[in-house]
Amino acid sequence: MKNLVTLFLIFAGILAYSQTKMPDVSLSDIDGKKVSIKNDFNEKDKIYVFSFWATWCTPCINELDEMNDVKGEWTKNLNIEIIAVATDDSRTQKRIKPLVNGKGWDYKILLDSNQDLKRALSIVNIPYTVVVKNGEIVHIQNGYVPGSEDELYTKLKTL
Amino acid sequence: MKKIIFLLFFGTTFFVNGQDKGTVFGGFETNAQWYLNDKTLYDEFYNSVSQPENPVRSNSYLFVNYKIKNWSFGVQGEAYEQDALLNYNPKYKGVNLATYYARFKMEKIDVTAGYFYEQFGSGLLLRTWEDRALGINNALRGGRIIFKPVSSFTLKAVYGQQRTGFDVSNGKIYGVDADISLSDLFKFENSDLGIGFSYVGRDEKTDIVNPKFNDVTNGFAGRINYSHGSFYLSSEYDYKSEDAVVQVRNQIDNNLIKPGSALLFNMGYSKRGLGIDGTFRRLENMSFFSERIAKGNSFNDLIMNYIPSLTKQHHYNLANIYVYQAQPNVILNDVSIVKAGEIGGQIDLFYNFKKGSKLGGKYGTKVAVNYSQYNALGGKFYIYTPQDYQTDFFGFGKKYFSDVNVEITKKWNNKLQTVLSYINQYYNKKLVEETYGEVKTNIIGAEATYRFNDTKSLRLQGEHMWADSDKKNWAALTAEVNLGTKYTIFASDMYNYGNDDPKLRINYYTIGNSYRYKSTRVSLSYGRQRGGLVCVGGVCRYVPESTGVSLSLNTSF
Repeated sequence: MKNLVTLFLIFAGILAYSQTKMPDVSLSDIDGKKVSIKNDFNEKDKIYVFSFWATWCTPCINELDEMNDVKGEWTKNLNIEIIAVATDDSRTQKRIKPLVNGKGWDYKILLDSNQDLKRALSIVNIPYTVVVKNGEIVHIQNGYVPGSEDELYTKLKTL
Repeated sequence: MKKIIFLLFFGTTFFVNGQDKGTVFGGFETNAQWYLNDKTLYDEFYNSVSQPENPVRSNSYLFVNYKIKNWSFGVQGEAYEQDALLNYNPKYKGVNLATYYARFKMEKIDVTAGYFYEQFGSGLLLRTWEDRALGINNALRGGRIIFKPVSSFTLKAVYGQQRTGFDVSNGKIYGVDADISLSDLFKFENSDLGIGFSYVGRDEKTDIVNPKFNDVTNGFAGRINYSHGSFYLSSEYDYKSEDAVVQVRNQIDNNLIKPGSALLFNMGYSKRGLGIDGTFRRLENMSFFSERIAKGNSFNDLIMNYIPSLTKQHHYNLANIYVYQAQPNVILNDVSIVKAGEIGGQIDLFYNFKKGSKLGGKYGTKVAVNYSQYNALGGKFYIYTPQDYQTDFFGFGKKYFSDVNVEITKKWNNKLQTVLSYINQYYNKKLVEETYGEVKTNIIGAEATYRFNDTKSLRLQGEHMWADSDKKNWAALTAEVNLGTKYTIFASDMYNYGNDDPKLRINYYTIGNSYRYKSTRVSLSYGRQRGGLVCVGGVCRYVPESTGVSLSLNTSF
């Protein structure tokens, strides 16, 4: 128990020092091309929305379906790009391409097959959305319920 | 030693931070459970559920990294207090330093010392990963070099011992993997073509006298990926050199020395509004552990490769009672239970009826169809001494499992969305679990999400399963109320009303709530856990029946 308390204390200490940079991880996109999270998403003042999902995660798919419907309006008003990071491992990875096309989504899709990016961001549950501007994490949305997309849009407009 | 590393790490972190350089990031997760007595919840032997010793238990993980310029350092501390949650590996005990690493990363070179996670190809030869819900953390402790001289070529070399509890395996693992993008190299305009090769060696000294196998087992793999426009194709072949077969846990069979292999083939066609995908897989004697006798352990300890079941992962509770587990192993038990692997595949179809079309309506209608089937390998099996087998490459033996399912998602208006599913499963319990029984099921699931206003919504999910044997029929209901985007209350019940034994007609209920804010999520619930397999990504962990209060908290920074 004493050890547990120590662990908590260290944790509280670290929180005070934490900063919010996007980790430097390289992933493949849906066509097998290598992509660097740090270097390929760094246009000045552009807002990048990284939405973590998986083919077996129903709320994730609902979120991406909803965002796909309102995406036109978002990109008209803001300099923004939505990136759907599939955390599927080799069990379900082959379903990503047909699902994305079957749904008619036009997001950039990244494959986080051994969860390197998910782990670097300490994401436990998906859906999980990370908003990045100029390499800094400026907003996090944890989970999805109907209406979350409107709340996210309101937030994005203030960034 | 471990404590010193721990202290050094934090010392450095805070010192450097004081000078305002570098960044700290990481996360914290705790899952706690208070197990209670429950006189009306029985297992199949009529034992009612009673509190284990130390009824309050928790698994906690603190992951801290420090990054400065091209360097990063990290540690993960874990605490299992008063004990680990029920049926986790007993090697997870107390508070300890679990993993640590130092990494130097530039554009062309990336070097890690300490614990690391790696996957070659699809993972059929080597995958190290962490899955806390299953108690899996098989990270390698050693070193890794990733070399990318040009964008079209990646070479990885790894060496290490695998994490087991707070220790590492006796077996040593080494490997190399090369990945080449031919389309980049030859500047293909309209298609992508990539190939890859891997080698993995496992070196474990054996104490068997006069072993008929080598200490070192070699694994080789080749893979190809091709896509052209809407069409794509990929394949991987893995070969594992001859090694002693372990049929029964802890018993190395010095008289059954066999190689292993895996073939994976996938192709598909997809364009806007349509996706078709087919996968074929054949596995023969393909389980691979960093210590031979670890095979068959129920904690997924010391696994080197990832052999998921390639079936649809259902989100309905009742569709997860008879879940398929991939069958890479050899069993020559008796005439009716012989296995040397599996052969089968799955087909997926996704279709979107466009907005404005007759079936699409105002918002479109989405349909997903999936079919999967797996059989034992066909061939000749000799179950009496000397045991042996010869498989046919495309031979289909007894059927393990099949699943046909259809899912229709329809948004009616801005407020209402529904999902309707039908699932038909066949589960050969006798062959898959090496027990007895055979189950055929039909499942219907219906789900509706209704939005009251901007942020308040209700989700209802009803399910029914007709099963012809084992525990027979079940019904289930889940309700979820979202009050704002941050707070959710939920309640669910699974009722095994059709059980032949009235005493076992049990309700597995749960009520709870969860709160999310930025990167933090807290959830508190009370209820009953159905005994059986908890599966994530086709890998399963057995959990006993239990009743209690669960608290989980996770955050990242």
